[in-house]
Amino acid sequence: MLGFDLGKYRTMVVSIALFLVLDLGVLILNFVISSEIDKDAVNINLAGRQRMLSQRMAKTALQIEARNAQGQPSEKEAKELAQAHATFDGTLNAFIAGGNTLSGAGKDIHVERIDDAHAQAILAEAKGLWTPFSTAVRGLGDKGAPSPEAAAGIARQAEAVNLSLLKLMNDLTTRCEQLSSDKATTLRMVQVSGITLATINFLIILFHFLRHLRESDRLVEKARRETDNILQTTQEGLFLLDDKFAMGTQHSKALAGIIGTDRIAEQDFLAILRPMVTQKTLDTAKEYIELLFQPEIKEKLVASLNPLNHVEIHQAQGAGEMSTRYLQFGFNRVREEGRITHLLVTANDITRRVKLEQELKATEERAKGQMGMLVEILQVDPSDMHRFLRAANEGLGHINNHLMEQGGGKAEQKINAIYRITHRLKGDAGALGLSMLATPFHELEEVLDGLRGRPNVTGEEFLPITVHLKALFEQLETVGSAVTRIAQMRGVVTVEPPRPQIDPAEAVPRVVSQWQAFTRQIADRQQRQVQLSYSGIDLQKLAPVLQESINSMVTQFVRNAVVHGIEPPAERRARGKPESGRIAVYVSQREDGGADLSFRDDGKGLSIAKLREAAVRAGKLTAEEAATLDHRRIVALIFEPGVSTREAVDEDAGRGAGLDAVKDMIARLGGTVRIGSTPGEYCHFRISLPAQPEQLAAAA
Amino acid sequence: MTARKLLIADDSNIVRSKIARALGQHGLHIVGLAANGREALELFKATRPDVLTMDLTMPEMDGIECIRAIRALDAKVRILVVSALSDKGTAIQALKQGAQGFLDKPFTEAELSDAIGELLEETGNG
Repeated sequence: MLGFDLGKYRTMVVSIALFLVLDLGVLILNFVISSEIDKDAVNINLAGRQRMLSQRMAKTALQIEARNAQGQPSEKEAKELAQAHATFDGTLNAFIAGGNTLSGAGKDIHVERIDDAHAQAILAEAKGLWTPFSTAVRGLGDKGAPSPEAAAGIARQAEAVNLSLLKLMNDLTTRCEQLSSDKATTLRMVQVSGITLATINFLIILFHFLRHLRESDRLVEKARRETDNILQTTQEGLFLLDDKFAMGTQHSKALAGIIGTDRIAEQDFLAILRPMVTQKTLDTAKEYIELLFQPEIKEKLVASLNPLNHVEIHQAQGAGEMSTRYLQFGFNRVREEGRITHLLVTANDITRRVKLEQELKATEERAKGQMGMLVEILQVDPSDMHRFLRAANEGLGHINNHLMEQGGGKAEQKINAIYRITHRLKGDAGALGLSMLATPFHELEEVLDGLRGRPNVTGEEFLPITVHLKALFEQLETVGSAVTRIAQMRGVVTVEPPRPQIDPAEAVPRVVSQWQAFTRQIADRQQRQVQLSYSGIDLQKLAPVLQESINSMVTQFVRNAVVHGIEPPAERRARGKPESGRIAVYVSQREDGGADLSFRDDGKGLSIAKLREAAVRAGKLTAEEAATLDHRRIVALIFEPGVSTREAVDEDAGRGAGLDAVKDMIARLGGTVRIGSTPGEYCHFRISLPAQPEQLAAAA
Repeated sequence: MTARKLLIADDSNIVRSKIARALGQHGLHIVGLAANGREALELFKATRPDVLTMDLTMPEMDGIECIRAIRALDAKVRILVVSALSDKGTAIQALKQGAQGFLDKPFTEAELSDAIGELLEETGNG
């Protein structure tokens, strides 16, 4: 808009204009009146001179008469009279009608008519007296001395008007002085009222100005207080950021707590971010902020690119502990007259929200895990499941007893015993396809492995075992209750479908199909091809304790054979063997009711050299002992705890615990084991187990 | 006012038709569908569109290079990057080369429509 908007300054501008008009008015009046007073001063002067002239003319007339009477020349006096007459007459006429006369200094000046009735009345009267006298004086002419008669006539006339004229001229002077004094009074009044008005005007301006100033101060103060209150109270971190990444001087109180520093005003935002984020995030953040200052970029359409939307920071919290917090920075443009001057940055601590989200996710995963557990349970035969749960509970009970024993035996023995139980249960869980139990057993095994072979294990170091044990008990209970629920759903009474009519010779016993499935699982994980075949008696003919022992041993041997014995398909092909390895299991019943188990694989057999290395690695032998020891003694080492020829540890093997557990079991049952192996061809275990006491007791 | 001309650049046929379907209804006149950056650049020269949607990872010439080339030819065309947000840094580079907005994949038709509305709004105080 072209016009000038006075806005809030209107009053002030009007007041100033009024002040100027007033000033100018007073100035003009002052000038006019002053110049009139000047003229009045001239008039007073001239009126005074008229008074003097009237006296001089009378005096001169009498002198002329006197000199004439004495016969003395009177030309000089006559000339003086004529001059006085001319001056008086000119001045009188000028007073009456305006005109020129001589000034005191003898110069020709213009005199205006005296514009006053009273003065004019005086002048009219004076004119009436003056005219006859003036006519007489003119009659004298201006050359030579007048005759004695004429001089006497003039002298008489002068005597006659002298006093009256004097009085009139006196009155005129007084009147002129009065007029001048009146004007001076007017002038003073004008000046006084001008100054008064100007002062009032000034006071109005001042009052108005102060009121506005106070009002605007009040508003500014109010706004400042409100801003302060907002900044003090808000839970968000708020501050302004300029295009040089400098933070503004004002910020919310909460900001310091969120970003963890009090030094904020005019600090470099990037420097504050630097310890919190990676260099890459910092670089991206810098570029993102720069983009937001570019007006052509659409603010809403780049919000999703904010690299500081989710900042994870780790802070030391004394005593070497770290706490993790999550921060979120948001950016909004601040515009002044359409130009982007700043970004308003909001900083929030979103740790609670993130943690809640994480918990929610974990809960979802647990729910998914439980689903998976149900699926796993459903795939296991219920009686196998019950048997496993019983064995697992017993096993965990044993572990617990070992832990409770105060000083019973050396710590190393204790750990080895716990290790064997754990390893067996892990294998059993794996064989049944129960990964939700195999995994925690594997984790416990890892903990135990860290303690094995350590000279001094303190009581405190047993603590993690207790924690895992507790978790395992709970997990077993969860599985147990799931099994019970499933059984309830299935119904206690189930009518089995009719068995298919198959040749009993071809029917594969259930336990054998489990071994086969387990073999396939491990073979898949180890990238081997292996087939397990079984021949021999129906295992169910054996005493339950022998059935379970044989089952455990075969599981362990399968694991051992697939991991250590059977070569990868390519290697087998190269050796002229079929790509698929073979495991043959044979069980026969002894006459005393005991059982013989034969387990043979066609893998690479036992490597004496590797067993030596492993025994040295496990600290069972010194290098010298290993080098000198008889082959048979070396082979026997595979039953020692901690000896494994495998270097990597995984779910399947690598800790050398499996055969250790088998030896334990054989010893407990009072059996024997023979090993036969030809390098590159096979490995063969033959186990002989006598009849068991409870079996004998039952038979008796 | 004549309908604004739209060019779509994306190596996925499915995404191209999804954008075309959503924005055809938005009153935009689709002048070209490009499957890579080179095609997009050629189509751009031939059709001079007002609006462009641009994928970033495309064969032959990627989105960033293409945006740079197009921006060198035309200062006014509005460019929306439509890409999966695997790397915020890459998307920011695209914006530095002259795109004005970003839309994360996958997107709904409403989100795309809103983004284009925002993109076409006159730059002023908004």
